[in-house]
Amino acid sequence: MKKKCENTKFRRWLIAIFLGMSSIFAPSTMGVPVTNLDAEIEILKQQMQDLDQKVRILEQQRELDKEGAAATAKTQPVVKLGSSGFTLSSADTNFAINLHGLVQLDSRTFFADHNLANSGFLLRRARPIISGTVFRDFDFNFTPDFGGSTVQILDAYVNYHFDPELQLEAGKFKPPIGLEALQSDAACSFNERSLVTDLMPNRDLGVELHGDLFGGIASYAAGIFNGAPDYNGTTVNSDSDNDKAFAGRVFLQPLKTSDVNALQGLGFGVGGSYEADHDGTSGLTPGYTTDGQQKFFTYAGGVVANGTHWRISPQGYYYYGPLGILGEYVVSDQEVSRTTAPLGSANLQNTAWGISAGWVLTGEDVSYTGVTPRHPFDPWTGHWGAWQVVGRYEELNVDDKAFSASLPFAVSPASASSAHAWSVGLNWYLNKNVRLNASFSHTVFSGYTGAAPAVPAQAENVLFTRIQLSF
Amino acid sequence: MKTMLTILLASLLIAAAGAKEVKLLNVSYDPTRELYQEYNAAFAKYWKAKTGDDVVVSQSHGGSGKQALSVINGLEADVVTLALAYDIDAISEKANLLPAGWQKRLPDNSTPYTSTIVFLVHKGNPKHIRDWDDLVKPGVSVVTPNPKTSGGARWAFLAAWAYALEKNGNREAKARDFVSRLYKNVPVLDTGARGSTITFVQHGVGDVLLAWENEAHLAIKEFGADKFEIVTPSLSILAEPPVAIVDKNAKRHGSLAVARAYLEYLYSDEGQEIAAKNFYRPRNEKIAAKYASQFAQLKFVTVDGKFGGWQKAQKKFFSDDGIFDQIYQP
Repeated sequence: MKKKCENTKFRRWLIAIFLGMSSIFAPSTMGVPVTNLDAEIEILKQQMQDLDQKVRILEQQRELDKEGAAATAKTQPVVKLGSSGFTLSSADTNFAINLHGLVQLDSRTFFADHNLANSGFLLRRARPIISGTVFRDFDFNFTPDFGGSTVQILDAYVNYHFDPELQLEAGKFKPPIGLEALQSDAACSFNERSLVTDLMPNRDLGVELHGDLFGGIASYAAGIFNGAPDYNGTTVNSDSDNDKAFAGRVFLQPLKTSDVNALQGLGFGVGGSYEADHDGTSGLTPGYTTDGQQKFFTYAGGVVANGTHWRISPQGYYYYGPLGILGEYVVSDQEVSRTTAPLGSANLQNTAWGISAGWVLTGEDVSYTGVTPRHPFDPWTGHWGAWQVVGRYEELNVDDKAFSASLPFAVSPASASSAHAWSVGLNWYLNKNVRLNASFSHTVFSGYTGAAPAVPAQAENVLFTRIQLSF
Repeated sequence: MKTMLTILLASLLIAAAGAKEVKLLNVSYDPTRELYQEYNAAFAKYWKAKTGDDVVVSQSHGGSGKQALSVINGLEADVVTLALAYDIDAISEKANLLPAGWQKRLPDNSTPYTSTIVFLVHKGNPKHIRDWDDLVKPGVSVVTPNPKTSGGARWAFLAAWAYALEKNGNREAKARDFVSRLYKNVPVLDTGARGSTITFVQHGVGDVLLAWENEAHLAIKEFGADKFEIVTPSLSILAEPPVAIVDKNAKRHGSLAVARAYLEYLYSDEGQEIAAKNFYRPRNEKIAAKYASQFAQLKFVTVDGKFGGWQKAQKKFFSDDGIFDQIYQP
């Protein structure tokens, strides 16, 4: 017991010594005894001040980073890649280069054609489209085409846009005449443009003044060109004669900015061309073709363009919601001569007209530039793109004088004096870039006098399909 | 009498009809806003009285290096009033907008006023900052702009380096170590002197601002002597911010004569008074003596004397992969 008490006292004595030594050698912060409440408060205050400083520094660094990012953004080039293609531009957009493309893989299946036509697949168009801007006001476009059987430069031009109302374009491009001809290949409702386009020039080389006035209510274009014949699938890059052609077009959309929604999409105008002395065999069309691209009219050998060639084309469209209608009429008046017996000249006035209509079944709006599906095709989410039914009627009439018995200008009997066609089709716009379509075209001819099998000897019935990629 | 009044009125109208308006663009460094606001008004009044023409001076302010780059890249300055000669030399060399000998065209190497670098601290100087040595102590947060863009920051860097050289027997390694430790205490780098002033004075970042002398005085004047105080180090650098006509731009704008007069007027009594009132050290000895009490006396080094000039200093310290790039890691 005594020993136990003595042990207890010794432990207490040891504990007291230990506590005393701890208070002497205990660590202190900033030289302040940590057991002092005021000192602890000072320490906390300092810590709070340090934290406050850190927060302020972080805020300031964030501000500087934002300023730096904004300054960098002003000079960094901008890269965009999307449904509109690939674009690389300077930060101020004064310099830009765009890469777009158009690929059309078609099939044509002819029925009851006496094996005159080739059914099959074809690469209708394969175009890398390189466009851009330099020094803000100068645009350029270079478009070769690798489709079909020939490689050619379709477009190569520079456009100076001083103002949307006043622009100057020079190079190779579509002359300002036909409404359907000027429509983008990707936006056309059918695989092939109508017979009206047979009387329009393809591409031509020249200089054109053009612009949009009054906020786009009126547009105009007028230019001087080498002069191109009625539709020629293969374009040329030089002039074959000394004369030049004037081409011009005015198009109005008078209610474009009005409150009358139903009439905002109404547009009409007139285009035309005039060449005083268009001559040479290269001044004539190689032939008028059907929707199936079969020739039904050809000028006879030795027939040359010799004199004035003028065209006039009243045209118009109407778009309202899912409804789209486009129509035009064209007169192509050409003086021609025979260089082989019987010699002689004539003034041939060929005409064509066509009207097409379409309805977007899924309700999207249609316009001159096409249809953009509201919901791109994605079966996983139950979206099927946009669907459109289309129909068209078209006619082309060759001047009867071309078939004169005493002074013929047409290849006879292989040519027809007129072609009439109707077409129906279904277009499926999977998204802004991919489209599938199928259509059927029926063309009948008149004025064909031959007995042997030839294109105009029977109706042309052709089923078209297309897979199109455009961006 | 009536006839005389009519003649006088007619003369005034003729004079007014003949008076033209000349525009000048003065591209300046960051802290000179108040100086040129006052100076431009004074010069316009002087020029109107002298010639009858109106002068409208537009200002652009920013870090001196950044401003020089802007002029090189096409900012159509008629005159530049930058923080250091190297930046104007760059405009001459890279854009050929003014001749190489521009500095000789005006007195005192085209520097109508001088300044220096001082310390601005919070009132009471809680971190007890007395000299450059205190800036490298742990726990001291130093605010200074980025020497890559700011002229004032370059002057401050050189001042710190000069101090370290003087203290350590001109040993470069010691100076480098000193300045490295200083920049380890720098939490943010604004692009210009005014930005750093705002960071310190308004945003409350840092314990000490390495400031242009005029900026320090302006901060106290604007925010109160009860908030901040100036600490003058034992040694600093004599900053000589130069001015120059940008000849090609001024000729193209038809403003050469006015631009020349604009810069020459900085050396006039009125120009020197305005500089002094805005806490720039005037070159005019009489006016400097009049305002002597507002400027601290301290030991100066010069960039020419200590560093061999701006071309050498810029290349050694502030070019890409120079000493600043080597020692400062954000």
